Amino acid sequence: MATPFGSMSVRELQAGLAAKEFSAAEVARGTFERIEAADGVVHSFLETTEKLALDAASRIDGAIAEGRLAEMGPLAGVPVGYKDNLNLTGTHTTCASNMLRDYVSPYTATCVERTLRAGALPIGKLNMDEFAFGGSTETSAFGPTRNPWDTERVPGGSSGGSAAAVAAGLVPVSLGSDTGGSIRQPGSFCGLVGVKPTYGVVSRYGVVAFGSSLDQVGPFARSVEDAALTLNALAGRDELDCTSQPSDVDFTANLAEGVRGMRIGIVPAFLEAAGLAPEVKAKAQEAALALEKMGAELVEVELPHAQAAMSAYYVLGPCEAFSNLARFDSVRYGYCDPGHKDLGSQYEASRARGFGPEARRRIMLGSYLLSAGVYDRYYYPAQQVRTLITRDYAAAYESVDCILTPVAPRTAFKLGEIGDPTEMYLGDMFTISINIAGNGGMSVPVGLGADTGLPVGVQLIAPPFKDANMFRAAAALETVYGPAPVAPDYADGKVGA
Amino acid sequence: MKTLEEVFETWEAVIGLEIHAELTTLETKMFCGCKLEFGAAPNTHTCPVCLGLPGALPVPNRAAIESIVLAGLATNCDIEKHSMFYRKNYMYPDMAKNFQTTQGPIAFCMRGHLDLDVDGRGAAERYRLDALAPGERDGNITRTEDGYVAHVGITRIHMEEDAGKMVHLGGGEGRIAGATQSLVDYNRAGTPLIELVTEPDLRTPEEARLFMQKLRQIYLAIGISDCSMEEGSLRCDGNVSLRRRGTTAFGTKTELKNMNSFKNLHDGLAYEICRQAEVLEEGGVIYQETRHWDPSAKRTIVMRVKETADDYRLFPEPDLAPYDLTDEFIEGVRAKLPELPDQKAARYAADFGLTAYDARHLVDHRTTADFFDECMALAVAEKGGSKFAKPLANLIINDVTAWLNAHEDTALADTPLTAARALALVKLIASEAISSKQGKEVFATMMDEDAEPAAIVEARGMKQVSDAGAIEAVVDEVIAANPDEVARYREGNTKVIGFFVGQCMKAMRGQGNPKIINELLAKKLG
Repeated sequence: MATPFGSMSVRELQAGLAAKEFSAAEVARGTFERIEAADGVVHSFLETTEKLALDAASRIDGAIAEGRLAEMGPLAGVPVGYKDNLNLTGTHTTCASNMLRDYVSPYTATCVERTLRAGALPIGKLNMDEFAFGGSTETSAFGPTRNPWDTERVPGGSSGGSAAAVAAGLVPVSLGSDTGGSIRQPGSFCGLVGVKPTYGVVSRYGVVAFGSSLDQVGPFARSVEDAALTLNALAGRDELDCTSQPSDVDFTANLAEGVRGMRIGIVPAFLEAAGLAPEVKAKAQEAALALEKMGAELVEVELPHAQAAMSAYYVLGPCEAFSNLARFDSVRYGYCDPGHKDLGSQYEASRARGFGPEARRRIMLGSYLLSAGVYDRYYYPAQQVRTLITRDYAAAYESVDCILTPVAPRTAFKLGEIGDPTEMYLGDMFTISINIAGNGGMSVPVGLGADTGLPVGVQLIAPPFKDANMFRAAAALETVYGPAPVAPDYADGKVGA
Repeated sequence: MKTLEEVFETWEAVIGLEIHAELTTLETKMFCGCKLEFGAAPNTHTCPVCLGLPGALPVPNRAAIESIVLAGLATNCDIEKHSMFYRKNYMYPDMAKNFQTTQGPIAFCMRGHLDLDVDGRGAAERYRLDALAPGERDGNITRTEDGYVAHVGITRIHMEEDAGKMVHLGGGEGRIAGATQSLVDYNRAGTPLIELVTEPDLRTPEEARLFMQKLRQIYLAIGISDCSMEEGSLRCDGNVSLRRRGTTAFGTKTELKNMNSFKNLHDGLAYEICRQAEVLEEGGVIYQETRHWDPSAKRTIVMRVKETADDYRLFPEPDLAPYDLTDEFIEGVRAKLPELPDQKAARYAADFGLTAYDARHLVDHRTTADFFDECMALAVAEKGGSKFAKPLANLIINDVTAWLNAHEDTALADTPLTAARALALVKLIASEAISSKQGKEVFATMMDEDAEPAAIVEARGMKQVSDAGAIEAVVDEVIAANPDEVARYREGNTKVIGFFVGQCMKAMRGQGNPKIINELLAKKLG
């Protein structure tokens, strides 16, 4: 059986197009056929966008016919899936919530637009935790996504659909969003490269906001190079997002450089953290030693306030979410509970029924934390903690170029296994401080855990706007562990066990 | 109910104002590129940002920041270099995001002031002003010859966005009560708005009115808003409380809305002060509430009782970075500051010898001040210099202003009046070619017929007769024809001279030189 297009790398796809082994239209059609065949159990896609993809493909094929493939952009002919909190004109953007079940985007997010301008074929919208609140994709109003490595297990979250689609070889690249670990943790659970760039590298315009000061969009891919190529397309100043920054970095530039002379930080306290599974700890240590063996210098660094990141996050995140989600009020769009005679009861009933339990929990939490008398005790100290954590990282970067930590304390858990919300929140213990500080972090697959046999990732963290550092170290690790494989049950065109 | 004067015998009023101005002269909204246009078809100037669609982000309008800095500099404020936007969270359909983007504790402009010249009848509202000698100070006021100057503190001017406009159908007069449908027009949503908050330094409704008037003059002079109180681009809320004379603690305040003209601002506050006095004197309690001024019923009515302070859950807007204004930016804005009304009035007094009263009234309106400047530029160029300043000022303050008041829809620039014509008219009077009374006729004719003053004088044969011989003949005739009045005059009733002047003028069809007629009459009757 021919290799499915979704299992190829960006370079393989473009080589095939250039050699006219297949057309972009065949890539698009083949991708939809593959999703139809293989996504039933995994349930990563909420909507597929055949017309948009075929229109884009015909433009690519037109260019190929005229010998202009190279002009069509670095993602020309590459199928890309989008987390369902990213607006794309004419598609549903539901945030996996009943609140937005019928909402159709009238405009396109800048990050999506940039992939389209880079020649991507837009394949569809991917499942997620409702409004990105969660770490397992189980809070989706449209049913959970399952992990292609073991469909009894979760793919992680909140960008679980984006991770599962790449891990199952449905698409080579997808976009997710990361507020506290929502790209890196599913990246680790599904054995992928998952990148949360420095805050400001990718425009947030058109990304349905969760925590505005924490959210950042980034790519999932099976190779460091594919992730870097995608980030090249995404990065840069956008006049529509005044927190976005200019970027003139080519993230693929130093992938082959190796790590000789690089100083890699290790945080001993992280490796001793309660709840860290031995197989994950072992993989982190193994990866660090692999880097050292390739010429990197390992340096122990302290992040003394990182332990407070979780507390700060569960103040700042809900506060911003409370305000960001206030617009879902049933008046102009979104779920409207019928039959109410006054505005107040329509608001209450529509929001009570339109939002799921985790969304309601965070809205109520934020509403409480911002209220008079409470604000000073929580919001303000949380901002102070934020400053301290940012300073911790800044101090660490005086002696290192990059920091290596675990991504998640354990490998993928079973659906329904974690019922207590606070236990779920602890899954973000190694990722959250990066969103708090605003710098970049990425998960890099380092093989399977010795105990569970499931994918394990390590997290590489770079100084603000030095995201290229972590790509360089990630590429070195890839020379040891290889690019991420498609999950075995979905490899070589298989459609699941 | 007692009169304001009676109330002030016992009570002191403490008034603070909150004044919103829409920055109507900008091209686009506060946080998006939508066009600012009054009166467009509903919801035609909207986009994902001002509609609060999921995922949309605000981008601040730099020109709006310039406008507020200009306003701050023109009202003696400190410009805060480092300030932030905040989210004020509350749910209402006219606020698409269900939060308003506004500013927090530190606004772009802080700690300003305006000095108000209060004179004439307005000054009489101030309690026992006569107890002060000119130059003497009492609190924030300084006594002047004809009134006093009040120094009024400005707490802050902050930047925010306006809400959309609600339209209620099916109820009475577009009110929400009884309405069957409520529609929202988001064209106005996101309009840049600046809110100025005064210190509670105002003591009379007249001071409040003058503050508003002066602020309006300033905003018009710096060109940041069309300041239409009728259309709501300039809106004023008043906070007012009473305390017994001699005490310093603040009483409970009420907030007064719907004062959409200078008269309503004055009358609404005056009523509310008297109402509060009545309640307090009858042993009642003032509740902290929002009241609506009803100009037709001439009373204030309760809109909403505030039992507890609203909790707007204010927090820094994470989508907008803290704003750092550079010295270059602030100085660049300062360089754009035009001559302000106070400076203009001072210049008129210093350069042209106008009285403070004339100078102030000339600058009441930007159009009349600009016109006066234009006239004086011509006069100076023709080496007439400042001798025409006073008659030009009189012409503008009296005739031109009266004409404009009677023709509300006409702008000065669209009338037959030009600086050259105004100067020509003033010169005709100054050279005694026509009398000042004839001058009024020439002005009226000029405005009606769009003709040159000299041509009107010529066409109507209005030349003033200053030939003493010709006048003497008329004077002799009039004296001869009225022996009874001559007798009365000679008995000491010198007021009869007016009768003789009138008779002479009548005989000369209004063209006799009144000065010469008076001189000859005095000589011949005496």
